[in-house]
Amino acid sequence: MKAEAARKDDPRERLRRVLFLVPYAVRHPGITVRELAERCGTSEAQLLEDLDFLLTVGCPPFAPDDFLDLYVERDRVYVALHQSFTRPPRFTESEAAALAAAVKALAGEGKERVLEALRQAVPRERRKGYDELAKRIYAGSPPARESVMGRLTRAIAERRAVRIVHVTAGRTEEKERVVRPYTLARRFGHWYLFGHDRDRGRELPFRLDRIKDCAVLEETFEPPPPAALARARLFSEARGEPIRLRLSRVAAAWALARPARLRVVESGPKGEVVVEVEGADAEWATRFVLSFGGEAEVLSPPEARRHFDEAVDRALARYLGG
Amino acid sequence: MQKAQRLLDLAALLLRAAEPVSWRDIQEQFQEDYGGSEDAAIRKFERDKADLLELGIPVRWLAADEDLPAGYLIDKDDFYLPDLKLPPEDLALLYLSGSAALAGGEFPYARDLAHALEKLSFAARSPGASEAAAMAARSLSSGEGQGRGQVPALLEELSRAIAAQKRVHLTYAGAERTETTARDVDPYGLYQSGGSWFLAGHCHLRGALRTFHLARIQALEVNRAQPRSRDFQVPRDFSLAELATREAWEYAVHAAEKARVRLDGPVSAEDRASFGPRARFLDEAGGVVVELEVTNAEALLRHTLALGERAEVLAPARLRRRARAVLQGLARRRA
Repeated sequence: MKAEAARKDDPRERLRRVLFLVPYAVRHPGITVRELAERCGTSEAQLLEDLDFLLTVGCPPFAPDDFLDLYVERDRVYVALHQSFTRPPRFTESEAAALAAAVKALAGEGKERVLEALRQAVPRERRKGYDELAKRIYAGSPPARESVMGRLTRAIAERRAVRIVHVTAGRTEEKERVVRPYTLARRFGHWYLFGHDRDRGRELPFRLDRIKDCAVLEETFEPPPPAALARARLFSEARGEPIRLRLSRVAAAWALARPARLRVVESGPKGEVVVEVEGADAEWATRFVLSFGGEAEVLSPPEARRHFDEAVDRALARYLGG
Repeated sequence: MQKAQRLLDLAALLLRAAEPVSWRDIQEQFQEDYGGSEDAAIRKFERDKADLLELGIPVRWLAADEDLPAGYLIDKDDFYLPDLKLPPEDLALLYLSGSAALAGGEFPYARDLAHALEKLSFAARSPGASEAAAMAARSLSSGEGQGRGQVPALLEELSRAIAAQKRVHLTYAGAERTETTARDVDPYGLYQSGGSWFLAGHCHLRGALRTFHLARIQALEVNRAQPRSRDFQVPRDFSLAELATREAWEYAVHAAEKARVRLDGPVSAEDRASFGPRARFLDEAGGVVVELEVTNAEALLRHTLALGERAEVLAPARLRRRARAVLQGLARRRA
């Protein structure tokens, strides 16, 4: 894609990486190439290229002592003479604005304090630009304080375990679980909690709309080791038969633009489609389909269709005779 | 000298200097780069300075005074990322919000966000613990399932256009995808609603403010002419938050009318919030009645139906009849 190519050639992108890389290596002498690459969000090959680039960087008048003294020894990185790059530069307007938008969408208490701290971390002369840019992204409203997400946000921030009542995909039985909440992520229109399930003894994702209740416990926990986080994947547990939905032409146009994981398996002559969605449960499918006001229906598997039919009958009963 | 190298050398020179560095000194140190005609050299230096500023490196010109000569400098206090002096829970919130947004795979300024999360470890007194959320986000957002189609790339292009206030040219598919239109748009902002991203801006084709679903943008081109000058001004009275918090039933489709929806209890905080900030809630036996003013009743009907049998349209009567007809139609299809 054009943007991808432009990014590779953008010299500023390399500068942004090295302006983090150098101070980080200074602070962590002997850090491995792999770990440093991970911290910089880049590949080892790219990092080694960046390190090569840094060897050419110096401070005029370019006497030998004026060059950045940096070397890799047995796969470990050392910066001996780090000149002036001991800390990264302040936030750029777009860095701070992106963080601010994310905070505004998720944070409740402490939001104002955090936003002001972000503003102060932008160079003085750029703060006006930051104020302007921060008004140009709106990533959503913060969750209600007593909502599941509101409670989880607090628990993650305070590193406290939670007791959740959860329904696993494809099942109807609710289970109580004690989870150490590590982080939240939104994928394909759904929010997920990623954390350590005490009973099952491993890290797992939990879709938020399947969490029926959440209580923040007194129990606190230490941050997870990187190895535990490295196992984090959100969609490894899609199981059961995919749910099939039929969508009219109008519904298809809207549905396919939504961030759900829909795969078109049949297209009709008038623009209607049949789609499949993996890892969804009957309740989600019913709600999703009903949001198209009669322009869609659940087709299969039979239990999902039955769930849909029963929901339609019960909803219809409310309107008959009234 | 390559640009990246020149910029970093320049930053190193200015950071290390004890006093402002004159233009002549800079020219002398970078003869290869700032040679040629004086005008061209100054323009090139000004472009470099602007790039450094965009990287968060505050290079500025200082006029001479009694103690110091005139020249360029980087004020160290204004350069290094400061300790944010936030309590640990606020810092965790920053990490959590940033990493959740990043893990979603679709966020404006996503690359900047990733850089910001990296830098945060320097902006905290005891960063180790809070970094966990950011690391988790990186794991979550890597590999399979990353982003959807071209939306992440569109977000990035549009983010740049919004920051630089550059006009964009869109090829846009209509809601039902039966036709496409080509439009010039002044991009005012990006907002997320229902998990999807929208562009808000002045549409030159329609001569009015319009919103565009990113998933329906088929092609996008940013006006490359005069990249450092602005193509438009965002009107003072434009409010992205106001636009973004408008619920679908508040779109101007018909004259305003009062609507009421009953929800059976217990009603969760999420269900209440789903009716938006302008809804009024009247608690009554076994549930809640939501009162709203609607200008697009069909959208409220769809929202209510999606809540299942726990929700019911009470008024207006016409909308209630329509709900019944939709459900009867769905029930009939079974046969």
